[in-house]
Amino acid sequence: MNRRDWLVASAAVTGSALTLQSRRRKYSRDLRPKISRIAILHADQYSDKLDQLVFDALRPFNLDVRGKSVLLKPNIVEYVPGRPVNTDAQLVGAAAEAFLRLDAASVMVGEGPGHHRDTDLLLHETGLGDQLAHRRIAFVDLNRDELIKTRLQADYCGLRHLWLPRTVRASDFIVSMPKVKTHHWTGVTLSMKNMFGIVPGCRYGWPKNVLHWAGIHESILDICATIRPQFVIADGIVAMEGDGPLNGVPKNLQTILLADDPVAADSILARLLGSDPNDIKHIQQAGRFIGNHEGVIL
Amino acid sequence: MGPLRRTQEEIEKLSLSGGGWATGTGRRAGIETTCYALMALHDRQSPACDRAINLLLRTQNPDGSWPAFEGDDPEGCWTTALAAIALRFIRSPSAPLKKALRWLLKYEGREGHWFWKWKFRTVDRAVQFNPEKYGWPWFPGTVSWVVPTAFSLIALKQSFPCCRTEAVTNRIQLGMEMLRDRACPEGGWNAGNGIVFGSPLTPHIDTTAIALLALTEDSHGIVVQSLDWLRHAYAGCSSAYSLAWSTIAFSVHQDRALNECVADLCRVLSPTETISIEILSLAAIAIKAAEGDANPFHGDLK
Repeated sequence: MNRRDWLVASAAVTGSALTLQSRRRKYSRDLRPKISRIAILHADQYSDKLDQLVFDALRPFNLDVRGKSVLLKPNIVEYVPGRPVNTDAQLVGAAAEAFLRLDAASVMVGEGPGHHRDTDLLLHETGLGDQLAHRRIAFVDLNRDELIKTRLQADYCGLRHLWLPRTVRASDFIVSMPKVKTHHWTGVTLSMKNMFGIVPGCRYGWPKNVLHWAGIHESILDICATIRPQFVIADGIVAMEGDGPLNGVPKNLQTILLADDPVAADSILARLLGSDPNDIKHIQQAGRFIGNHEGVIL
Repeated sequence: MGPLRRTQEEIEKLSLSGGGWATGTGRRAGIETTCYALMALHDRQSPACDRAINLLLRTQNPDGSWPAFEGDDPEGCWTTALAAIALRFIRSPSAPLKKALRWLLKYEGREGHWFWKWKFRTVDRAVQFNPEKYGWPWFPGTVSWVVPTAFSLIALKQSFPCCRTEAVTNRIQLGMEMLRDRACPEGGWNAGNGIVFGSPLTPHIDTTAIALLALTEDSHGIVVQSLDWLRHAYAGCSSAYSLAWSTIAFSVHQDRALNECVADLCRVLSPTETISIEILSLAAIAIKAAEGDANPFHGDLK
């Protein structure tokens, strides 16, 4: 074999290996429900009226939460005055109240802010601390929880394991509550990207930069394949467009979206933000095994 | 009983039987929490301190680094700098400390590699920073961030107060330049870069205070601007965590805001509220520093 033949053979072997690798199925479980259900509510402001609105919207889903522990995971990133960065406290409070009225055994709110180490300050600035204290709802800082080594149920990012908070692992029913926003790295940040917040800062830092290096879309897929939110309540009353997730401008979508499938939720929300969900890698890929791109509107 | 004594007793009570203190709601000893608690109690003869020192010594990885908590994978991370600061502060045996410093000198942000420097200079320019100036990451294989860089700088400066080798001098210089490079345009520091996609980021109180601890030699420019920002930002702050870090920084810089800041801290330390061990410990460190006791985060600690 001369040098040219050797180079051609090497290239062929490498190409074949890469093709096989890219075609290899990267998930072990198909989590897609037969039918995904979605409700889109009109709401033009954050007020006490959200309590009844959210409760009434949840009832047609007939969710099996009686006696279960419910964890609400809002998106609390950073307080920037005048910018709709975080899930609104009033909506989080309304959701907590609604799940208690549906006979959940317990409702907790948990978040591990990505940049900010002072979670207490962030809770105070965003009003979420007062909101939860007023309603006697517990908050867990997921950045500083007891951790359990968890095998990832998909293999897009190559990390294989993550240490995840016990509160998340022990919850029976997880509700992702994203703020509907554009994102300069991932196109959008919705219910699946919101699950980055369960990765603990005390282990991976502020931000959880290891996920960025492993691939943001890929990490989202692996996290959501492992801890799939059972339900979504998305805050699109005032959303963010432009240079999200921090420096974008408000967009009055006047919408709260509820769904029992995070992929269906994110597909619709991406369209509301003017993006094609098929252009967003994690939403497109998630349609293969985490959820459905389409759903029934209730 | 004064707030300091009450705080210290509370910390002692929360010590784990196996040594150290748990992070947040956890039940396993966290290295960060244990380091703060140990610093907070260093002047007390306490079995809790002895157990904590044993915990730190037995959780050190063979390469000299520390994990994030007891039982973690042996990869080593940002807590190594904190463990080095704590062990030096309590005058623990020097061999583990030397190993830790050797590891810190080798450990660097990913942008320290020529390939990533080149990528950040040419292709990946959304985040505005100078990749020639790098410090320490939170976790191996990632880029430099402000807090782990500041802690590592403090650990190196304290451990090599004089007679620094060229490698140590260069690393300290580079780390300090990295902090100056990543400052926000109005002064102060966010988690990493000051500007992302052309937009300036808002500084954080705690991160700014921690970065200022690592820049004690500077008396102009970004340090003055950041102290100004911190003086303005802590006023009205309701968080004991941010106020404790601000007090520690004002103490190191002998800033005029020190007395008011520590008074605010004592006010928000409500005896009726449940406060985490990290916050209790930082509060105790801050109160002691304000009273003129040794400050474990002082870069020139003798």
